[in-house]
Amino acid sequence: MKVYDVVPGLEFEPERDFAQSPAWFLDGTHSVPPWTPMFGWFWINFCRHGMQYGAEKLSLPTVHGWDWRFHKGGGYLTLLLVKSEEEKQRREVEFRKAILPFIENYDGLWGGYVQEILGRYENLKALDLDKATNIELLDNFEETINTCRRMWEIHMYMMYGTYTAYILFENMCRELAGIDDTSPLFHNLVSGFDNKVFQVDRLLWEFSKKAQEDGLANIFLEAKPTEIQARLEETAKGKEFMKAFMAFMNEDGWRMQRMSEMNLPTWVEDPTPALVNVKQFLQKGGGFNLDEERGKITQKRKEAEKEVLAKVPQEQRGWFERLMVLAQKSGIFSEEHDHYLDLYTHAMMRRSALGLGRRFAQKGALDDSEDIFFIIPDEVRRAGLNPDQFDLRYIVDRRKAEWQEWQKTPNPPAFLKEGFDLDMAMGVLVQSMDPIALKVVVGSMPQVRPELKADLYGTCGSPGVAEGPARVILNEDELHLVEEGDILVAASTSPSWTPVFSMIKGVVVDRGASLSHAAIVGREYGIPVVMNVFEGTAKIKTGQKLKVDANMGVVFILDK
Amino acid sequence: MGRKWLYWFEELKTTDNDLVGKKCANLGEMTRIGMRIPPGFAISIEGYERFMAETGAGEEIRRFVEEHKDHLKEVKAQIQASQKIRTIIESKEMPADMREELFQFYDQLKEKAGGKELSVAVRSSGAVSMPGQMESYLNVRRRESVLQKVIQVWGSAFTTRAIAFRLEKGMAMDKAPIGIAVLKMVEAKSAGVVLTVLPTIGDTSKVVVEGNWGLGESVVSGEINPDQFIMDKETGEVESTISRKTKMVIYHDKGTIMVDVPREMQEKSCVDPEELKEIVRIAKKVEDHFECPQDMEWVLDQSQTSPDNLYWVQARPAKFSKVKEKEAEYLAELMTRMFKF
Repeated sequence: MKVYDVVPGLEFEPERDFAQSPAWFLDGTHSVPPWTPMFGWFWINFCRHGMQYGAEKLSLPTVHGWDWRFHKGGGYLTLLLVKSEEEKQRREVEFRKAILPFIENYDGLWGGYVQEILGRYENLKALDLDKATNIELLDNFEETINTCRRMWEIHMYMMYGTYTAYILFENMCRELAGIDDTSPLFHNLVSGFDNKVFQVDRLLWEFSKKAQEDGLANIFLEAKPTEIQARLEETAKGKEFMKAFMAFMNEDGWRMQRMSEMNLPTWVEDPTPALVNVKQFLQKGGGFNLDEERGKITQKRKEAEKEVLAKVPQEQRGWFERLMVLAQKSGIFSEEHDHYLDLYTHAMMRRSALGLGRRFAQKGALDDSEDIFFIIPDEVRRAGLNPDQFDLRYIVDRRKAEWQEWQKTPNPPAFLKEGFDLDMAMGVLVQSMDPIALKVVVGSMPQVRPELKADLYGTCGSPGVAEGPARVILNEDELHLVEEGDILVAASTSPSWTPVFSMIKGVVVDRGASLSHAAIVGREYGIPVVMNVFEGTAKIKTGQKLKVDANMGVVFILDK
Repeated sequence: MGRKWLYWFEELKTTDNDLVGKKCANLGEMTRIGMRIPPGFAISIEGYERFMAETGAGEEIRRFVEEHKDHLKEVKAQIQASQKIRTIIESKEMPADMREELFQFYDQLKEKAGGKELSVAVRSSGAVSMPGQMESYLNVRRRESVLQKVIQVWGSAFTTRAIAFRLEKGMAMDKAPIGIAVLKMVEAKSAGVVLTVLPTIGDTSKVVVEGNWGLGESVVSGEINPDQFIMDKETGEVESTISRKTKMVIYHDKGTIMVDVPREMQEKSCVDPEELKEIVRIAKKVEDHFECPQDMEWVLDQSQTSPDNLYWVQARPAKFSKVKEKEAEYLAELMTRMFKF
């Protein structure tokens, strides 16, 4: 029997929650496998808060944001619709004013928030957790909670505004230029831009050059991933290398291995994933693909811009061009926000929680520092200032046992009230006009063309055709298996996957839309990406020979 | 006889948006606050739905879309579908009873307008209007042509975007929130726009009036250099710039045409001081009513004298201009409309 909640007040409760909304969707992208209790607490509380904050700050005419519930480590969401016509009209008036900063000064807006949030991270990092008093430790944790809350506010406000502009651009491209977001011309329009994630990749590539020059290449190529660091530390040159590498990690390595969880080490704690990226660059050899591709892709973009503008009537070009520039920034935002917001904040959460965890373990409140992920902030506060007076282990025992149970049976994709089916639920979702729901949850549906005799049908995320062996990757731990020339097959990808794009020839993902990670990065590397095939990871096996034709949005398995 | 689907503007108000579309509801509201608008009537959204149902056009479109839905994901196919659907709609005859009612209203309008030859504008009145949508037909004479233009405006609701949108959202293809305004075309001596804000710097203490001889189209489209009057709202002080106006737009056959302005009129002000005062007086009143700067279109009838010769054809929140700042507002407006469709 459950005697306490993981996310008090926001646990899924069919009786009451179905009265509020007939359909609750599992956030499969972020909450599979199920979250640890502490991470779930942060996400449910503040992602929920951020979405409603974003929708309210912008006064989105049709939607108040999303509501979230927690169920066995899964996040379930539903839309908060604007119900009356009068209210919609009132909100339209406000929205028209609220969206202006995005149009008038996008870079200033986003740049300002990046500075604000980085400043918060610096403050959090300034505390030496192991020397801090209990008061300082708890204070750091409370500030981390506030930072997470603020991060989600910025995140969702920016995302709603940015995607609204992007969707209008897609619409106007269709109307005035006769192209849509699956056309190669459209993709050319939105590629050829640098962003922070690519800059980090470039630095990793530079370290591979340095390893070569310092005569360390063999260590990378011969050692097992987990041993690279230790082997490097054995030599003087290697020590120097690691010192420089850790300095880089301290700057840019505040990211999680799994994007939405906190129980795996950050790159700063364990640089193995980053060192594996360096190894992969060494195996591949040659230059940094992005630099080689960038020039070509930028040139193509300029031609595409001319071509599309020529199709737009003269008197509409002014605003259209401005909208285009705004849409082009959407791709940059989509990538960068993961780096500056989600990944960095989650790394801060882990850092602060582990600091407390270590203290609690020393003082006997917990057995192990990582057990902190099985309690929630209210329980942390209980023992915060006097951890030697409280024993939290009974909570951890019970929660851990539960958490292990959650891992065994997958959460259902949706909770639906009786008499309500998935199609009806999707209908509500699209009619909400919620920009995030449209761009992230729904996406374009693939068109099945039997005459092509393909094995999988999807949509084009990045144009091109390629052949190669399949590499099915189900989670980030397996990324080191990717080899030069592979075609990556995954459920979806996230920024921690970016470095492998320099090695692969193509990508097939089960879900995705034109602003998904795989599409944006694929376009920058000039490799084909087929999205929304739904059953790619189920149907394709590693080693099978594939042909991907992204222009047609199809995948062929050549040796079945 | 079916339910009511034709309304005189005087019967309408702002909140009738869902009944007759935005433009008609707005015209109705304008009459309520004492603005003289050209006599005319509105065709409700229900009228459109009835046409689609009774002529079978709705069913035909549904079938067409059902048959082609596998291909309609492509833009090219959507463009073709848009044309095809317009063709389906335009191939239908107006049902006899609807035709009869429309003619009754038209004839009454003719009486209201003085019983002589009547020339009307047939304008679409969507709940939302987006680039790419046909806006209006001008200088339409005779009831048969009115009938035909009404059907054409209905067909124009099926833009490529509208089709893609309905497909994506699984919405009924034969439903569209489109109303129509049929209003008398004023015999214009001169016409133009008035903004209750100086758009370049956003100065709300001034009113700007721009005008030219003939119809307002030449001013709205920005093709000529109009006369410009900037009046201070408090002091009434006027700064006039009388331009040399070489071209103007007038009625011609079934539409309009741009012609040369007679030499002796080129450097003469197209409004006299009394008329200017009246334009500004009403514009300020409307701004007060809606509590935000207005962008309005005015026409002076050549057969009447001031102040009875002043007619209004449009009033909306000020935002349309070629300056950068206004572009941003226009984009904001388009983004707002996107949520409505």
